[in-house]
Amino acid sequence: MKNKIKIALCQISCKREDKKANLEKIEELTVKAQQEGADLAIFPELSLTGYVLKDQLYEEAEIITGQSVKKIEAIAKKAGIYIIFGMPELSEKTHATIYNTAVLVGPKGLIGKYRKMYLPTHSVFEEKRYFRPGYESAVFNTDIGNIGLTICYDIFFPEVFRLCRLKGAQLIVCISASPAIRRGYFETLTAARALENTAYLAYVNLVGIEEGLQFWGGSRLISPTGDVLTKAILNEDDFVICEVDYSDLRTAETFIPVLRDLRPELFSKLKEYSEQI
Amino acid sequence: MKLTAAALDTDFSEIQNRICNFIKDYVKNANAKGIVLGLSGGIDSSTTAVLSSLAIGGEKVLGLIIPEKETVRQKDIDDAKAIAKQFNIQTQICDITEALNNLYKSIPILDQKEKLCKGNIKARARMIVLYYYANIQNRIVCGSSDKSETLMGYFTKWGDAAADITPIIDLYKTQVRKLALHIGIPRELALKPSTPALWPDQFAEAELGIKYEILDLILYGLERFMKAEEIEQQLKIDKTVINSIKNRLVANEHKRRMPMAPKLAFRTPGNDFRIPRNIIKGAI
Repeated sequence: MKNKIKIALCQISCKREDKKANLEKIEELTVKAQQEGADLAIFPELSLTGYVLKDQLYEEAEIITGQSVKKIEAIAKKAGIYIIFGMPELSEKTHATIYNTAVLVGPKGLIGKYRKMYLPTHSVFEEKRYFRPGYESAVFNTDIGNIGLTICYDIFFPEVFRLCRLKGAQLIVCISASPAIRRGYFETLTAARALENTAYLAYVNLVGIEEGLQFWGGSRLISPTGDVLTKAILNEDDFVICEVDYSDLRTAETFIPVLRDLRPELFSKLKEYSEQI
Repeated sequence: MKLTAAALDTDFSEIQNRICNFIKDYVKNANAKGIVLGLSGGIDSSTTAVLSSLAIGGEKVLGLIIPEKETVRQKDIDDAKAIAKQFNIQTQICDITEALNNLYKSIPILDQKEKLCKGNIKARARMIVLYYYANIQNRIVCGSSDKSETLMGYFTKWGDAAADITPIIDLYKTQVRKLALHIGIPRELALKPSTPALWPDQFAEAELGIKYEILDLILYGLERFMKAEEIEQQLKIDKTVINSIKNRLVANEHKRRMPMAPKLAFRTPGNDFRIPRNIIKGAI
């Protein structure tokens, strides 16, 4: 496994209901990432289709073994790098059950997926109307490190990130479609989730305007001590290459020994009290 | 949460950017040639027109000055022309006096002395003119409704509220005034008393019975689900006033929605067909 990797934060706007155009953009930026020495290219939440799709989700959702993932596999194989992107995933066992899914693809094909566990359904968000929540956190051991996958609103729930870390994630990726009105929360929480877990956190947000929602971008890489190592511009498409050095995890863990100091007995209390809220 | 004027302060540069990006994006995705809006010489339409010009260029923004005999004030026309000149916004005057008179004549039950229903005809007639220009010139109709008046239902259903986009609808009136000053609208115009111009000498604050500075704070509290008692305590305003505003807000929801329909089938227009707007396949 590599001790240092380069990642490309591919902050894009999407063309809604036009997978062809979005796949072309993903391919173009993956090639660019490879040319600039990146091992991994990360794209935003639902980057295959755009975020605000409403009833059209039933038209756009695809099974994980469908044509779009096959196309991404071909792109990853040709470039020889890893890709993380988001898509509305149709269950293979039913006809209209859809997940908001992050997909990890490597040079040898599909590695795995994460189905968003926390679906915002308040204010402008209506994800529970369309999506079924996932039930598993996801960490994948790859040649470029142990990578945990999370999606957007998950970041308000530290347990998702803690689970990823406890499963061995060194780099936690959060793909997002966060509108500008929420920017402050995400700027705070991205740093907090990295710091409290002493893990790298790569946050890649959507840009563009969909149904009056302006996505703010501001994608970033956070160090295991909560420092913003690099960040993309606000509101516009951007492409940023940054480096993850896993040897920094040891230093961070000694300086901020949160993993050593975990108190598992509190977790059963959390369960007990959260059931009574 | 403290209900003071500071609660309504915001980063107006950021607000300006977001509104301008919104307008620009919408016009582009609709493949429209520009924007048409009613330019009354008041604060809301002036602010909306200027934001539109900053977004897509004044040469693509057409401000229609739509006077009629009963309510016309030369000062309003002069203000509209002045703001248009300052921001290179195109203008045209459409006098609807004769059209209105003919319309009144065609309604056998028209009561000439009644103000409100007759006034609403004026707002709807202005809408007809705006949509004619939009249709014939491939423009977007840009509404000028603000949040205070929209929440109070202080507008004409299918009249001044009828539009394709409403860029300042999430800003209270006092915020619109601050935004107006921020984008360079002259102070005199930014602070000018609002009027819907449905009948002579009609002014919004007098008709609503409350100053916008107070109304906006009450609405802001209600927006954030504060209880009437909390708002009363903070603003030192009688609870009956707060409750009357709350009741008015609730009672006017019908003006802000698609018409209500009986649920008869699988997917009902307005309720169940939840389709994203403004998607044009094949263009980015």
